[in-house]
Amino acid sequence: MNTKRRDRVFLLMILPAFIGFLLLFIVPSLMSFGYSLTNWSVYKPNFNFVGLDNYASLFADTKNIAAIKHSITYALVITVLQNGFAILFAVLLNRKGIMANMVKSIFFLPAVLSILVVGFLFQYIMTSADYGLLNNIIQFFGGTPVNWLGNGKIALFSVLATQVWQWTGWSMVIYIANLKSIDGSLYEAAEIDGAGKLQTFRKVTLPLLYPAASFNILMSLIGGLKVFDVVFAMTKGGPGYATETIMTTLIREGFNSGRTAYASAFAVVFFVIVFALTQIITFFLNKWEERIV
Amino acid sequence: MIRTQKFKNVTFNCLYAIIGAVMLLPIYYLLVTTFKTPAEATARPLGLPTTWNFGNYIEAFTAMNYPRAFTNNLLITGIAVIILILISSMAAYVIARSNRLIFKWMFSIFMVGLIIPFQIAIIPLYKIIAGLHLMNTLPGVILIDVFCINLPLSIFLFRGFINTVPIELEEAAAIDGYGTFRTFLSIIFPLLKPIVSTVAILDALAIWNDFLTPLLFLQDPRKAVLLQEVYKNVGPFSTDWTSFFPMLVLSTLPLVIFFLIMQKSIIDGVVAGAVKG
Repeated sequence: MNTKRRDRVFLLMILPAFIGFLLLFIVPSLMSFGYSLTNWSVYKPNFNFVGLDNYASLFADTKNIAAIKHSITYALVITVLQNGFAILFAVLLNRKGIMANMVKSIFFLPAVLSILVVGFLFQYIMTSADYGLLNNIIQFFGGTPVNWLGNGKIALFSVLATQVWQWTGWSMVIYIANLKSIDGSLYEAAEIDGAGKLQTFRKVTLPLLYPAASFNILMSLIGGLKVFDVVFAMTKGGPGYATETIMTTLIREGFNSGRTAYASAFAVVFFVIVFALTQIITFFLNKWEERIV
Repeated sequence: MIRTQKFKNVTFNCLYAIIGAVMLLPIYYLLVTTFKTPAEATARPLGLPTTWNFGNYIEAFTAMNYPRAFTNNLLITGIAVIILILISSMAAYVIARSNRLIFKWMFSIFMVGLIIPFQIAIIPLYKIIAGLHLMNTLPGVILIDVFCINLPLSIFLFRGFINTVPIELEEAAAIDGYGTFRTFLSIIFPLLKPIVSTVAILDALAIWNDFLTPLLFLQDPRKAVLLQEVYKNVGPFSTDWTSFFPMLVLSTLPLVIFFLIMQKSIIDGVVAGAVKG
């Protein structure tokens, strides 16, 4: 076969994807780094180089530090909750029968809704106004109503709870597929050895869930760091700045306030956080994998 | 023994019923509220409506410019998914079948997009899209949905699948005098059906539900997608929530119907996407 000719055809086949990706992903990403070192804004179209000034003012603002903290907290907590619930329900629902299948579908259903719609819906469910469904239910059972979205201490976690509701089913179906692939004879062996249910889960099931877990953990972590739509729908960053995240700040500074360079610096910080956190988590996941093998 | 087994099944089914009901409660609440008057919704939030009033839906349908917004959604999603399948299957084929360093390099660059969110590029991207005169146009949004959001995962999934396709077929095709591209198109591509459906489903869900891209890049009201119509109405309808809820239903209805029909392929697609990853 004429490899030279083949390579030329290969190049033509890969170029549409590569050029588009280069032009619309790689180049603008690099441009963010460049812009972050200037004082460009809608008020200063003729910008110049200012070094690390944007970073200095970015970190001097406690609101930004809070937004970064919120995103990281959100990402870590949702990773734990979403995967914890997903594994729990995967184990519970990994049975045959119409009921089990129906409930699996019900769990997955919220994942096809848009995050924005889920956010709006829960904004009404969690509101402290008279018609708030959640507080009505709590009062029905004799509890005291909670200001889910108006109390700055819990608002971020109220928002987060809606996303656990929405995405647990997605992770769960992946865990169920993984559970199905586990060799049944391992459980028989564990039973013969006299292992209890909990022990079997910890020593047999959990280690073998590694493939699904490593994927799901990274996905919820990255998804959590990007959180935007649901905050936008439910709290707009409020009350005060209690639910501001990296993305809500970046969009506000870059698009609403027109502080282009400043927002670019925020984007670079965002990049560093995503990169660092995924590296750390991958490190621990690899440790876990080594221990299993 | 049989009796305890039966007892266990009943217990599990009761447990399932409870879990399922709790999960479904927010969606049930959304649906029943759409048929009520505000007074009734406040008085009996979880009760079935006393009269099934479809007036809220008609009002929502008009306020959202539903046919127009739906068409915009459909155009963006449909065209983007077709482009994604074509360009990512070709790119993945090259990556899977060539040992050339340059293609391995390109693959590594694509994979950056799996971890790094495109949001870090969003401000310069705004300038680039404006520079291409694609601001407030459907092609502008399609380009971003294709290249910034869905391309890396699509290539990754195609590559994983093509790696499992035996190369002997291509060798036979070469003996028959098939060229490289013709081999791909008429021998390989038809074999990719399962992964095409996985990629199409994952990409379609992501694109249909994407809000940030239209929010920033599609500010012409005539080109608004469904979610923008919902967002536009949240202010004016904030006190009239029984009229607002039908908009939430209408904007997600197409995907829910899609899910109810294609349930098995969607869930299989999600699983395949994870296992290959």
